[in-house]
Amino acid sequence: MMTRTAIIICWTLAIGLALFLLLPLVVIAAASFSPTPVFDLPLSGASTRWYGRIGRLDGFWPSLSLSLQIAVLSTALSLVAGTLAAIAIARGRLPGATALGTLLVSPLMMPGLVLGIALLQYFRMIGFTATWSALLVAHLVVTLPYVARTMIAGLSRFDFTLIEAARTLGCTYAGSVLRVMVPALAPSFLISGLFSLLASFDNYPVSIFLTDVRSKTLPIRMLQYIEEAPDPTLAALSTLILAGTLVLLLISDRLVGLHRMAGTAD
Amino acid sequence: MSAAPHLVISGVSKRFGAATVLDRVDLTIRRGELVTLLGPSGCGKTTLLRAIAGLAPPDGGTIALAGRDVTHVPPHRRNVGVVFQSYALFPHLTVAGNVAFGLKVRGAPKAEIDRAVERALSLVKLGHLGSRRISALSGGQQQRVALARAIAVEPDVLLFDEALSALDRKLREEMQVELRRLLQEVKATAIFVTHDQDEALTMSDRVAVMNKGRIEQLAEPRELYARPASLFALNFVGLSTRIAGQVVGGSNGTVEVVTPVGRLSARGAFQPGASVIVATRPEQLRLGTGDGANSAAGRVRSVVFQGSRTLVDVDAGAGASLLAELSGREAELPRVHDEVRFAWPVAETFAFAAEAS
Repeated sequence: MMTRTAIIICWTLAIGLALFLLLPLVVIAAASFSPTPVFDLPLSGASTRWYGRIGRLDGFWPSLSLSLQIAVLSTALSLVAGTLAAIAIARGRLPGATALGTLLVSPLMMPGLVLGIALLQYFRMIGFTATWSALLVAHLVVTLPYVARTMIAGLSRFDFTLIEAARTLGCTYAGSVLRVMVPALAPSFLISGLFSLLASFDNYPVSIFLTDVRSKTLPIRMLQYIEEAPDPTLAALSTLILAGTLVLLLISDRLVGLHRMAGTAD
Repeated sequence: MSAAPHLVISGVSKRFGAATVLDRVDLTIRRGELVTLLGPSGCGKTTLLRAIAGLAPPDGGTIALAGRDVTHVPPHRRNVGVVFQSYALFPHLTVAGNVAFGLKVRGAPKAEIDRAVERALSLVKLGHLGSRRISALSGGQQQRVALARAIAVEPDVLLFDEALSALDRKLREEMQVELRRLLQEVKATAIFVTHDQDEALTMSDRVAVMNKGRIEQLAEPRELYARPASLFALNFVGLSTRIAGQVVGGSNGTVEVVTPVGRLSARGAFQPGASVIVATRPEQLRLGTGDGANSAAGRVRSVVFQGSRTLVDVDAGAGASLLAELSGREAELPRVHDEVRFAWPVAETFAFAAEAS
């Protein structure tokens, strides 16, 4: 009887929590199809006109382009640097490897606002004022921990005897890395890339200090829109971003399987 | 088994920093021979295996495999098969994918790969599990997959690095017998590395006992046990009675030794005054005085029944002890605290130089 009650309570809580987390997404998606500028339930019909207005938002395309550039580039650089750093930390006999690993991951634990102000002051001090480059460097600080943490975890579980096994079976060293290490680490690679991409793309607190009037990243531009004209265009844009994220997740699932990415299998 | 040397290791040395791990090792193995490198951890046996595989090239000496000098040939062009202690199976491939790996890398045609995989898997009795994931297999099955993967490429030599040590005792003993039969069936030349003397005696045609980077003795299992060449080999393989003493004379390969338990004769050649250890195997000891044999008396300290045999440990005084193995058919077994006398043949008594330590 006790267990039965407990199970009911647990499920109620779990479903309630899931609803609480997911309902805003449903609301935003519903709002994006609202025929009137003011979102009202129940909907009195459906319209896609807000979607058509996204592209005409003031400064939308440059902001989207900037955000994508920074997100993709910082992710690519983080994947290279983070993987190499992870190899040195997880595999090498580096003195102070653990400390170095903690240092690499530490920006994750720092409030974004503090990080943003600190970077702004620092960049000013050393005369590093090019907005685009400053943004890229700042986003690297944000994305590198995701990659480093995931790759260190992935590598520490990787058995390097597998490479030796592949070599004795006829693979060159490089071939062994490619045929054995890369597939084994693919889930770590993909999940850290995904995290990094999203962390950069929707970063607000660090970017806000480093953008100027002419170059604003998408999240900052969106906040500006909401202050100026709060109509469902933003809901439409948010829905599109949500859809894009879903597509990324689906592709990842197809490639390596989300269960492997979450580290729950094997 | 042909007499032609198949693997010739000569003067192979390896240093790691200041430590000499392999010290001018010589070893010649015939085609189809099963040889074990036996020794404690740190004796260099794994390093020697890795040198043969090409994973740790030696600093000095040469290694020739199947008539070709491979000393500086990288592992992927050596045609060796290695079964690792951790099995090192590729987790992202199926059982068949693992077994096919070596042939795929070599660019063999698909039909040939399929045939070889099927044959290798049926040899290790896993023919029905080809499509399984590695993580869905038991430890024993993984071990078989690792073996099938190494066999599938038809290597010139198969190398086993403590390959059975991860299995539980019963499974390990079964695998030892089965593996030996299987290797003889495919006429493989194989080298096992192990610290398990039972595995060495069961599996091999010859055993190389290694210590401090050198091969102390290379012999057939029976000879290794009956005629150990050094105190180390005696200690590492099987049980023994060991008594320290001083040589007082001798002739014709026999020495007279004064020990705390009395005067003993032993095979060996030493100058009078030399400190030696006199040793014999437990099954050589018989209750009684014996005629013209070595003998010693003492008080029984323990009697351990082990099924087909019983081990009797005797305190012979002055820190010396005797270890006797009596068969189950013995009319009357001594009891603890009994005063007993044991005798054993001089021909089965050896003298070794006492080690400085």
